[in-house]
Amino acid sequence: MAGRRDEGDLLQGTLAILILKALLLGPAHGYAVSRWVEDATGDVLTIEEGSLYPALRRLEDRGWVTSEWGVSENNRRARFYAITPAGRKHLRDEAAIWLRYSRAVTRVLRAEPSLA
Amino acid sequence: MTSERVPRWRRYLRLVRPNVPADVDDELAFHIEMRVERNISLGMSPADARRDALDRFGEIDGVRARLVEHDRRKYAQRERAEYFSDLIQDLTFGARVLRRAPAFTAAAALTLALGIGANAAIFSVVDAVLLRPLPYAQPDRLVTLGSASAGEYFALRERMRTVADLAASVPQTHAVDDGRDAIRLKGVAVTTNLMSVLGVAPMIGRGFVASDGIVGNNWSVIISYGLWQRQFAAAQDIVGRTISIEGLPCTIVGVMPPTFRYPSDDVEYWQPYAVEPKNLGLMWAVGGKKIIGRLAPNATLEQAQRELRTVWPSLSTINPLWTPGPDYRRDARVRPLQSDTVGSAAPLLWILFGSTLLVLLIACVNVANLLLARSTARERELAVRAALGGGRGRLIRQLVTESLLLAGIGAVTGTALGFVAVRGLVAAIPPGMPRASEISMNGTVLAFTLVVSVVTGLLFGIVPALRAGASSTAASGVTGSSRRATPGVSHARVSAALVVSEVALAVMLAIASLLLVRSFVALRSIEPGFDPAHVVAARVTVPAARYAADQQAVAAFYQTLLDRAAALPGVRGVAEVDKLPLAETVWGTAMRIESQFEDATHSLPDIDHLQTITPEYFAAMSIPMTRGRAFTAADRADQLPVAVVSRSFERRFWPNESAIGKRIGYPFQSPWMTIVGVVPDTRQDSLRDTTGTSIYVPWAQRSRMSSSELWLVARTAGDPRAAAGAIRKLVRDIDRSVPVSDVRSMDAVVSDSVNESRFTMLLVSTFAGLALLLGAVGIYGVMSYLVGQRTREMGIRLALGAAPERVIGLVLWRAARLAAVGTGLGVVGALFATRSLRQMLYGVSATDPLTLVAAPVLFLCVAALASYAPAVRATRADLMQALRTE
Repeated sequence: MAGRRDEGDLLQGTLAILILKALLLGPAHGYAVSRWVEDATGDVLTIEEGSLYPALRRLEDRGWVTSEWGVSENNRRARFYAITPAGRKHLRDEAAIWLRYSRAVTRVLRAEPSLA
Repeated sequence: MTSERVPRWRRYLRLVRPNVPADVDDELAFHIEMRVERNISLGMSPADARRDALDRFGEIDGVRARLVEHDRRKYAQRERAEYFSDLIQDLTFGARVLRRAPAFTAAAALTLALGIGANAAIFSVVDAVLLRPLPYAQPDRLVTLGSASAGEYFALRERMRTVADLAASVPQTHAVDDGRDAIRLKGVAVTTNLMSVLGVAPMIGRGFVASDGIVGNNWSVIISYGLWQRQFAAAQDIVGRTISIEGLPCTIVGVMPPTFRYPSDDVEYWQPYAVEPKNLGLMWAVGGKKIIGRLAPNATLEQAQRELRTVWPSLSTINPLWTPGPDYRRDARVRPLQSDTVGSAAPLLWILFGSTLLVLLIACVNVANLLLARSTARERELAVRAALGGGRGRLIRQLVTESLLLAGIGAVTGTALGFVAVRGLVAAIPPGMPRASEISMNGTVLAFTLVVSVVTGLLFGIVPALRAGASSTAASGVTGSSRRATPGVSHARVSAALVVSEVALAVMLAIASLLLVRSFVALRSIEPGFDPAHVVAARVTVPAARYAADQQAVAAFYQTLLDRAAALPGVRGVAEVDKLPLAETVWGTAMRIESQFEDATHSLPDIDHLQTITPEYFAAMSIPMTRGRAFTAADRADQLPVAVVSRSFERRFWPNESAIGKRIGYPFQSPWMTIVGVVPDTRQDSLRDTTGTSIYVPWAQRSRMSSSELWLVARTAGDPRAAAGAIRKLVRDIDRSVPVSDVRSMDAVVSDSVNESRFTMLLVSTFAGLALLLGAVGIYGVMSYLVGQRTREMGIRLALGAAPERVIGLVLWRAARLAAVGTGLGVVGALFATRSLRQMLYGVSATDPLTLVAAPVLFLCVAALASYAPAVRATRADLMQALRTE
């Protein structure tokens, strides 16, 4: 279990992207966000769930998400987060940078000589 | 979408402050619980499920603390931002509303400005005279013990324990010569420790030291800032210069700071008080030394009071000169120096202040009424805003902001008016007012004005705002015409109540002012007992010390002055007197009365007034002889001592016989004086005097303690003021070192003696006039409003053939009813309020029936006038027009 923390340590920027991406599906509470990240990354990118909340606050401060109290699917009071237009734009920009970056790294890694 | 909507929690936030930690706990707990449920559904045991959930979450306490801190900061920020954005919104909206109705805004702002300005001006006087601490070190520890003889002072100083240090002062007026002009200045002889007891040091030079107070060595003098500025052009090398006081050269050792004006504003210099202890007469017979002191650390006023009432009476056993009676100083009092300085000015100022507060209250009521009338016009706007989701609280807040904005405009204008008014006040203030020189519009006054304005704004704004808030919520559900809705009726009721209270306040002020006017008239119609017409008086101050060696020279000077003044053209008769009636205190003395009170060591009767006069005094003042003769030139020092007494004196000691031939004497060893004449009573200290006992003695036979200052009084054929210049020149011609001062006609002296009454009367009358005016405006406003409301009814009445006079009568009757209720309440209020006026009244009782009837009648007339125009307007009500506007 202790090992997972090391692997799962994510850069803050990455965490922000994951959260914003999760919220593209619609408003969600923190637990739903962490479950989505878990499922979407196939448990490869495990985030420490506690760090999710300060990250959400930061996103809210920047105006990328808003939050409001609502009722969860099992009828409990929960705080729901939603992405704002500014958040969508930020996500698009970040995603573009990420994709370019990862394509470049992939190309480098595929180039001769091969790794094997 | 969700993101576009204003989050619901923001509205929730406004009503109940969010509980940040609880919300954070809820959010985190929800997360953990969800994870636990999922773990269990995946087959974990509950304990494992929870452990795993917490483990995945990580450091929960740290996260919680960070979130709580973050959310708290965020909420606070948001609240502030919202508050300010609302405020700016309210202010800009309010400004637009006020601009749209310039007539209303001007009327309301002017009304408020008058009220606030009057308050600012009077408060600046109240602040300077009553509230501001005296400009001495720890002024609240300073006390006064009353006045005493030098012997008593020294004895008290030795014995008092609760008062750490005592100092004494005695006023003196002296001829002062600075080398260019001979002037008469008010100075004070002070014990050398006085300045250190007060805790004030000279700004230039030194204070007095003990050696300054030794007899024969007391030639140093400390001058006031004003004297230094005026007479010495603020010369830096002032210390060491000499100034001639009483013809004796004195060395200036220091200049006091401008704030130091002990014991009163007009004092220009301080000399060391020196007394030869062997001179028992001066030590124990002559009182008038004002004693002050500083309470010992930890001592209270009550303790000092108790000690003084034991210590002072016990001094009767050590008095070497006379044996005081059993009641000697049993009523001695220790009083705070501040209240002693303020003296009789306090009740006067509180009355003025009360009057201005009433005016302000009336102004508030008036503006409240205006707002109320206007909020009817704005009902539809408010209803629309309420319907669009503006909460009631928000609407009220908007209206209150508008009121405060209005109050702000009033305050700025009022403060400007206040600046002008203070100048006028300072110029008009009666000369006796203590600390008058300190009056100014300063920070305290401005702060007071600010507070008054805010309170005013809330006061006149809150009732209309609450009413508007209530009606808007009521009306918001109704879509139809709001003009005919019931709120109009209850508006009328509220505004009628406001007018009634306004009338009541105005009537109270009118009654107070009428009482003061009647008092003043009564005062002015008092016959002083002498005839002031065609008499001019001038104070002539011979430098006593220079002439001291030679009493003959003083006598010769005054004789020359008399002879030459008598020869002036237009002068019918001249005389000299040591204390001029109604211009200063004509103090008296204890006297021996032959075969009634002869034992000088025991209590002798106090005679109210004693004057030293030249033979022509009674003739010059037109005081007729009731019995016997006036003095003649033959009543010289070497002849039989004689005296003239007043009727009250005669009645007091010889109720059934003539005083002529009876003998009286001073308390100390001196020959008997034979009474040769009786004159009617005259008013001596003030016109209010209940006539007291007076003794007149010939100046030629004066006692050695008499002052060397005399008033010259001259009866003239024409305008007495014409002789003033000639008299000034005459004195200068005889001796240029003798100052002449206070040259005034006796008419002016009499008139000036009631300055304080005139001042109070004029101010209160001004305020009352203002109140009547505002009251009239108030009635006009509310009647116009009522007529407007009932246009339809009036139209129907007229259409059905009602005579216009009947409609006018209807409106007037309604106004009269309002005014009658208001005046009734006002009279009742006045019965309580005018009690505080009692000591200022003269010849009229505080419950004077004539005044209590006249003021209401006056006001009813004003009310009728004010409602006449709306009444006439009512007769023009056109039914069709009225119906169309519905």
